[in-house]
Amino acid sequence: MTGLAIDDAAWASAWRLRSPADKLLLSGGLVLAALVLPAWPGSVLVGLAAVVLALGPARVPARTFGRAVRLPLAFILIGALTAVVQVGDGGLGWAPDAAAQAGGLVAHAVAGSAAVLLLATTTPMSDLLPALHRLRVPDAVVEVASVTYRMLFVLLTSLSTIREAQAARMGHASIRNSYRSSGMLAAAVLTRSWDRARRLSDGLAGRGMETGLRVLPEVLPSSPRFVATTLAGLAALVTVGLVGA
Amino acid sequence: MHIAEGFLPPAHAIGWTIAAAPFVVHGARAVVTEVRENPESTLLLGAAGAFTFVLSAIKLPSITGSSSHPTGTGLGAVLFRPPVMALLGTVVLLFQALLLAHGGLTTLGANAFSMAVVGPWAGYAAYRLVRRSGGGLLPGVFAAMAVADLATYVTTALQLAWAHPDAASGFAGAAAKFLSVFAFTQVPLAIGEGLLGVLLFRVLVVSARPELERLGVLRRTPEPDEAPVAEAAPGGER
Repeated sequence: MTGLAIDDAAWASAWRLRSPADKLLLSGGLVLAALVLPAWPGSVLVGLAAVVLALGPARVPARTFGRAVRLPLAFILIGALTAVVQVGDGGLGWAPDAAAQAGGLVAHAVAGSAAVLLLATTTPMSDLLPALHRLRVPDAVVEVASVTYRMLFVLLTSLSTIREAQAARMGHASIRNSYRSSGMLAAAVLTRSWDRARRLSDGLAGRGMETGLRVLPEVLPSSPRFVATTLAGLAALVTVGLVGA
Repeated sequence: MHIAEGFLPPAHAIGWTIAAAPFVVHGARAVVTEVRENPESTLLLGAAGAFTFVLSAIKLPSITGSSSHPTGTGLGAVLFRPPVMALLGTVVLLFQALLLAHGGLTTLGANAFSMAVVGPWAGYAAYRLVRRSGGGLLPGVFAAMAVADLATYVTTALQLAWAHPDAASGFAGAAAKFLSVFAFTQVPLAIGEGLLGVLLFRVLVVSARPELERLGVLRRTPEPDEAPVAEAAPGGER
């Protein structure tokens, strides 16, 4: 358990050992289809496909997936409602095609979020970062991102431990106390992150590894069958999405 | 406040990605140069990215009843300067999209523009302005964090208004709608984040002074045995 439910799901997923490039093709295709196809039936079908694939073959726990999809919902609903309220001379009112417009926005956003989650809940970040090399992102940047990923779990653990200790000492009993504790919490986590980085750096330098943390990426071969099924499925989705509209 | 996946039309998603790209590339170049000169800074920058991510897990009690989380871009801009934050902020946004389902991939460019470019630059400008006009470190930090937060929220609201203009009053009406709807959470958050920054720096000045001096936030204080020598030199022995 790492403290981030989506990351835990990614490590435990049945698709964990599939090639990240294959999963990027599938999720990327679904994300683009959710964005460009008409909301009905295109985005709805994309959303359904992402949910069925995640809960079915990829065996992502329904609870984790459901919770994660729910997170952006508040923004999506408030944003969609705001977009279809009309500001006129007579005050506020609904735009002429409010229901269709709001429905379209929600469908695009929920389907897109589900497609991103399909990638997020099946592929750990450490599998995705080497793909940045292929996109010609400089090594130094990929390494900084890798260190960020590796260090954030340690810092999250520190954060929850310190917060628990503060709460046990009534550190969050009032708003005033809570702000004071939050300031100290942020300072403690920041100084710990610096300390940790310095010690890691000293440890690596002592072992002659001055160019950073070089690790061999795990080789996860691409499956021609998965790629062919993905392409056929995406083509079918696009066809139904365009013809059905 | 991040724009969710699929909420921007394709043309806007591409446009904002192109707009954010030069700043992120500039930040990446700054990081590459820094790492080439000081290889150990890979770990310090990684720690800074992890801290920015983790900062969003700190819940701040809000006056409106809800709790919200700080964005940390103003703090990052003061500590590490805006170009580096353009890159670190984008990395953190990518992580937030894939680890917290917060934001999105096609909206990454738009979110990077508001949170990793406009926020840090506006926050840093406010910080410099307060420091130049004689304000101390703490008022400067308050200004940086509050302004970075407000600038991010205003930019996001304008991005949404441009993408979804009002049927009757166009962009202006939509901007008024989005600015006022999100003001309920974002304005108290900006003030809360400014306060958090002040409390954080009050601790850092005491417990992490050498780091703040190394980052150029605080002026280097002379070593205890340096000062008397400098003073004593012209007059000889006392």
